[in-house]
Formats: sequence, C-alpha cells, structure tokens
Amino acid sequence: MSFDPIPYDLFDALKHFLTVFGSTMFIALIVCLLVGVLTRGVKGIGDVFLGILDFFNQITHLSCRRIWSLSTLTIRESLRQKILFVFIIFAVLFMFAGWFLAGAADRPDLQIQSYIDFVLKAISWLVIPIILLLSCWSLPEDIRLRTIHTVVTKPVYRIEIVIGRMLGFTLLGSAILLVMGTVGYIWINRQVPESVQANLVSKVPIYGEIKFTDREGAPSAGLNVGDIWMHRSYIEGATKARAIFTFKDIDESDAINDELNLQSSFEAFRTHKGNMEKGGILYQFIFVNKDKGLRVDTAPLINKEYLENRLKINRKIMHESEDGKEKVEVDIFDDLVDDNGNLTIEVQCLEAGQLLGMARSDLYIRTPDHAFISGYSKAIFGIWLPMVLVIMLGVTISCFVKGPVAILTTMTIVLVGFMSKEYMAEILSGKMQASGAIEAWYRLITHMNSQTPLPDGPVKFMIQIVDMGIINFLWLCQQIIPNFGIFSNMREYVIKGFDVSWDAALLPGIVTVAAYILPCLIVSFYSLKLRELEAK
Amino acid sequence: MDNESVIQISNLTKIYRDFWGRKKVRALNSLSLEVKKGEIFGLLGPNGSGKTTTLKLLLGLLFPSEGEIKVLGQPASNVEKNEHIGYLPEESYLYRFLNAEETLDFYGRLFKMSAEERRERSAELIEKVGLGHAKKRQLKEYSKGMTRRIGLAQALINNPDLVLLDEPTSGLDPLGTDDMKRMILELKAQGKTVLMCSHLLADVQDVCDRIAILYGGELKVMGRVEDLLKEQDETQILTSRLSDEAIKEIEQVVAKHNGKVGTIDHPTATLESLFLKTVQESKERPGQRFVPDTQEKKAAE
Repeated sequence: MSFDPIPYDLFDALKHFLTVFGSTMFIALIVCLLVGVLTRGVKGIGDVFLGILDFFNQITHLSCRRIWSLSTLTIRESLRQKILFVFIIFAVLFMFAGWFLAGAADRPDLQIQSYIDFVLKAISWLVIPIILLLSCWSLPEDIRLRTIHTVVTKPVYRIEIVIGRMLGFTLLGSAILLVMGTVGYIWINRQVPESVQANLVSKVPIYGEIKFTDREGAPSAGLNVGDIWMHRSYIEGATKARAIFTFKDIDESDAINDELNLQSSFEAFRTHKGNMEKGGILYQFIFVNKDKGLRVDTAPLINKEYLENRLKINRKIMHESEDGKEKVEVDIFDDLVDDNGNLTIEVQCLEAGQLLGMARSDLYIRTPDHAFISGYSKAIFGIWLPMVLVIMLGVTISCFVKGPVAILTTMTIVLVGFMSKEYMAEILSGKMQASGAIEAWYRLITHMNSQTPLPDGPVKFMIQIVDMGIINFLWLCQQIIPNFGIFSNMREYVIKGFDVSWDAALLPGIVTVAAYILPCLIVSFYSLKLRELEAK
Repeated sequence: MDNESVIQISNLTKIYRDFWGRKKVRALNSLSLEVKKGEIFGLLGPNGSGKTTTLKLLLGLLFPSEGEIKVLGQPASNVEKNEHIGYLPEESYLYRFLNAEETLDFYGRLFKMSAEERRERSAELIEKVGLGHAKKRQLKEYSKGMTRRIGLAQALINNPDLVLLDEPTSGLDPLGTDDMKRMILELKAQGKTVLMCSHLLADVQDVCDRIAILYGGELKVMGRVEDLLKEQDETQILTSRLSDEAIKEIEQVVAKHNGKVGTIDHPTATLESLFLKTVQESKERPGQRFVPDTQEKKAAE
C-alpha cells in the first residue's frame, strides 16, 4: 500500500456526488416516465410525480417513536438469534493469539504493529460479516413469514421499516464494536512489553509538498531508477539535485521539548557498493527561508534503510554567517519559517554515485504525540463506518431480493469495492493499458498478439461497440460501488503508529458513508412502495 | 362520502401476474360492496374465492388492478387510515421471539400510545383473550389457538374503529370459537365496525349482520343474514316433547287449514352445545363426571 495521506478535497467530492447522483436520478426519472406512459397513459406521468412527492412526504413525516420501536425489535430479534455468540469466538481468538504473535520479539516496533493489526482485523472480520448476514436476511424473512403484514397494516411508513432496521443493526453493531474495541485495547496494552510501552503512541505527522531539482538545480520530477513501483523519485548524490519539501502552517506548537522532530524513511539506490560500514548513505537537510535569504544546513546524516530515521533538531541552530567568519544562532520557528508560515527543507544526497529515493510521505514533521487511544479509537471508528455502509447496502438490497441473493449481492459489492475499485479506476482513467473484454477474447481465439491492430471491417466494429458497452458498465459500477479501501487506510495509520488523519482518512470515510444514505433510502423506499408484500 | 360508510369498494378487480406481466389468475372481478358503520359484515366463499385478497386490498398489502377502494374515507394506500384499523391475519403473523406482553407493547408503540396506555391496554387485552397465564412465554411456544388469541389482541391494541378479521375462528377449539364470537359481538356493542371473512358458515351466521358470498372472485349474494335465510313459505313450531297422539292431532289441524306437514321429529342437541356444556360443568364441578341431559337421565330421575 502506498502510505501517502493526501488531503481530501471535500468540494471536489461533493461535485462528483452531485454529478453522479443527479444524472442517475435524471435517467431514473426519464425511465419511470416512459414506463408510466407506456403502462398507464397520461395518468402514468401524474403517478410518477405523485410517487416522488410521496417520498418527500414520508421522509419529512418520519416518526422517531416508530423508528425506535422498529429498531428495538431488530435488536431484540438479533439478540434472540444468539448473535452474541460472536463474543465467544472473539474470546477464544484472544486467549490464544498471544502464542502466535510473539515471534517478532527482536523488533518491538514490528511486534506492536502485529498486535494492533491482529486486533483490528479480528474485530472487523468478525463484526462485518455477521452484520452483513443479519442485515441482508432480516427483511426478506419478515416478508417471507409475513410478519411484516402486521407492521405495515399499522400506521407505519415503509421507509420507517427500512430506517428502523438500519438503525437497529447499527446500534447493535456499535455495541458489539465498543465491547470488542475495549477488550482489544486492554489486550494490546497487556501484550506490549513494558520496555516498549513508550512506542505505543499515536504519532501526529505534518506532511509537506515535494518538488525535485535535477543535477543542474533545475526543476524536475526526480529520477526514475527503473523501479516498477513509481512511488518514489530519486536524487543523485553530490550534485545540485534536491528534493524540496515545503511544510505549511508551521509554528512552535509543533515542537517537542523545543526540538523540531523530523522523521524520514528514504530509500537508497546504489550504483556502487560504497562504504557499507557507515550503515547507510550520507545526506543532509538544508532549511531555506527565501524571505530572509537564509540557508541553514544540518550536519551530514546517515540514512538507515528500512527503518524510520528520527532526527531531533534543537530549535536553536548555530549557523555560519554569510561571510563564514562567525557563528550565528538561528531559531527554526522564528527565523527559518517564512512569513507565510511555510518551512522549506531541502534534502541533498551527499555521496557521489549513490541515489536517494523519496516520496511526499517519506519525510514528515513529528508534532507532539497523541495517546495511543486517540488513534486506536479512530481505527475502531474506521471499522464502524464500513459496518454502517454494509448495513445500509444490505438492508436496501434486501428490499427487492430474497435473503440469499441479498447476501451474495452485498458481499460482491463489498469485495469489489475493497479489492477492485482502484483497479477499475486505473482501467477507466487510461493509466492501465487494457483492451476490451471481447477484443481480448477475440485475440485469444485467433492467436493475435496485442500489438497487431484489429483488421478493419464489421467484426472490429461490433467488437468495439460491445467493448464500449462493457467499459460504460464498468464506469457505472465504479461510480456506484463504494470504495471500501478508504476504510482500511485508517487501520494502516494506527498499525504504523500514527494518529488517524482527519482530512486524509476520517473525512473521506465519513463522506463516503454519508453519500450512500440518500441513494439507499430512495432505492429502498421505491422497492418497498412498488412491491406487493403479499405477492410471492 | 356517505357518513355511514366505512368501506366502499367499487368495480374492484385484481389480476395476479407473473414476473413477465402475464396474467396468472383473476382473483377478483368487478367487486362492489359497502360496509356500514357499526355492522358486522361477513365475506363468505370457498377457498380461492377472493375473500382474503379483498381484505389485503383494503389494507394496501396488494394493489388493485382496476377499481377503487375507500377505507374510512381514504384510499387504501393511505397509511394514516391504519391509525383506526385493527387487522387479524389468517395466520397470526407475529414475531415468535417476543412474548405476549412484548408483542402488544411493540404494536402499541406503532400507534400514538404512551407507555402507560400501552401497559394498561396490554394487560386488559391479555386478560380479555385469556392469556394471562402465558403472557411471559415466547409466542413460539404458543399453540395455534393461543396464537390466534394474541393475534386478536394485537389487532385491538389501538382500540380501532374498524376491525378486519381474516378467518378469526380458524384453529380455535369450540370454546375459543365461542370466546371469539363473543368478543366480535362485544366490538359491535362498542360501536365498532367488523369485516370478517370466513368459510365457517355457522360462525358467520352467529355474528354477522350482513354477508356477501363470493365465488370465483365475483359477488354472488349480498344482504342481511336474516333476510337471506328466512324461508318465506314455511312455518316452524318448536314445543316440548309431545306424545304420538298429540302429533296426530296436530297433523289433523294442519290439514284442516290446508297445510302440509313436512317433518315432525324429536331434534337432537348440537355437538357444539354438548361440548360447551361439558366444559362448563367440568369447570363448576371439577372431578365429577358429566352426565348429558338425555331422556334416559330424565327417566331415571
């Protein structure tokens, strides 16, 4: 995973949502009007608009009392279906997990990571599938057993049944998560050895923007050393090549004990063996304040590969004056942060023939740590969010298909949303070169390699038409299927010892869940409204 | 709307279709009827005649193919009308994991009832339907008769103006049937309107003011029970047991008035009345064997 927390553009997300939602609703309206006219004539148009009004009428006249009543029924039903047995599995896992996770004793940081990873995965893998089954099964069972008849014949809006179910499962899942999260937290604290308890914190990083210059000092994109994973770009040693990091809104509150804490994890690329005894390639930070014309460099540093290098720099740095005759004291926060609050740090590789690779996330300012519970609770929240999304999808889908089909459909959406979303996005954005499915199939059976152009003619035309349809369908799926990968990012933060970032992880998660509320309500409303609950 | 009308059905047709929209069966065909306020109206007919379909159309569980339905002056699809309706389905479709108290409390919450009102009403109804001894048991442990009783209780939780009962006496023993009929008559006495459908004709005859008989989804007969059942050309005289001589004399009198005697018989009691009497006696005199009130018993006395 590329651990590159990019701040979330809420405005852009909102614009995207309105475009997709608006166009989907528009297409749905046109289809409904056509069906209405074809089946009921002119009266059909009126019926469609009455149906739309009915949605707004019901949604604005919801009764909290009835919804709460239906929610408590859902909770009671689940409890009496022995859902709490899940705690037994959870307890058994935790009783014996310590035996299998104690292997990395020589690297306490990795050991902590494995404990946190285990707890968070165990919780999400236990809670989400169970909640998925319950939410998909409940309403179809209600319809199959006709117990819903005694509810819909009371003054209850059908949308209230849906909301009641969603709320009930959410409350139940939340309670289970709370218990499991608490137990998990205590377990981690007890498992982590006393000696490394200090590592159990939530680091709060400030990431900057990155730019590169080439060996002549001209702006560039950095060097590519042939690595397939193009996450990092490289700077050449002992040249004017630099990686320039700019951190925004820096002030002295970001210091820890009057020190600026920089944490880096650069990757070395060697063109020769070099001096291995040093333990790494030499590099240097240069603080730059263009407003004051200051360039202050640190002493040469050693880049320990595959480790996080933590550098604590006293805010007062002794710096040679321009003429080199005297030492001048500069304050990082007072003198090196520019008038706009930006701190610019250049990274220079000092060894000729060696290269140092870095990405935006490879250097950050570590501000005062938060307690571990801060990041941990947000990671639990990061399980809660997809759980709510799964509930919404499960209940919505179960409004129009039977239980087993609802389970399969929801599970497929979750799996595709979790594993294939980025893959689909890459195909659609053109980043990944791919021909259409039919074209690929055609090339396969005709033994035609991918570089040979398809022969012109009706076959090519037909293949392109069908492939275009498939690509459009893929686009539709990509828009509709939620990106479940967003939620696992929160877990990654905590596993790597960070507090969960609000704008790079929490906000996208919350916005993703929120974006599905209205569409789910609309789909479930019309699914139940247009459905004869008696019809088999 | 006529103030007296609680249900108005006009030209109601229901066609069940398959997934592709092809016609499967015409369950109702141009049904028109009206149920007045305060009456007990019975929908009769053999299985598949459209009784339950009519009820479900009234409740909005099904959508009409054609025609119009007004319930309490509102369209059947209107949810607000349900505030004043109680419904007992054919099978008591209730949540089997709840007990009687929880069931009534749950359904009570769906109406605008306070916790106090729900508690009082639940207790009252549980006693009324005779489930006081089993109110803490989950419904999955109930017999069919008990489920019907709690089903009726949930239908009455909101003190409805209109009660729709689908086969109310099905699955009940004669005692339960008798209780059910008594409760239906009580509802009428309270000014409520009852629409029930059943194929147990004796039950309908005992409680209904008016009936409609459906066959093949069409209305065949509708009217007041006593009017429909009155035999205009015959006279019935019921007396205490007479001797053979007295019977002969009566036949002569009938002949003198140009009458014709159909049957003269010594009628037997119904099995239902014998059963009810036995249960009643058993309650009053536990441990004693019940001796039916027969001629032999009278002769022995």
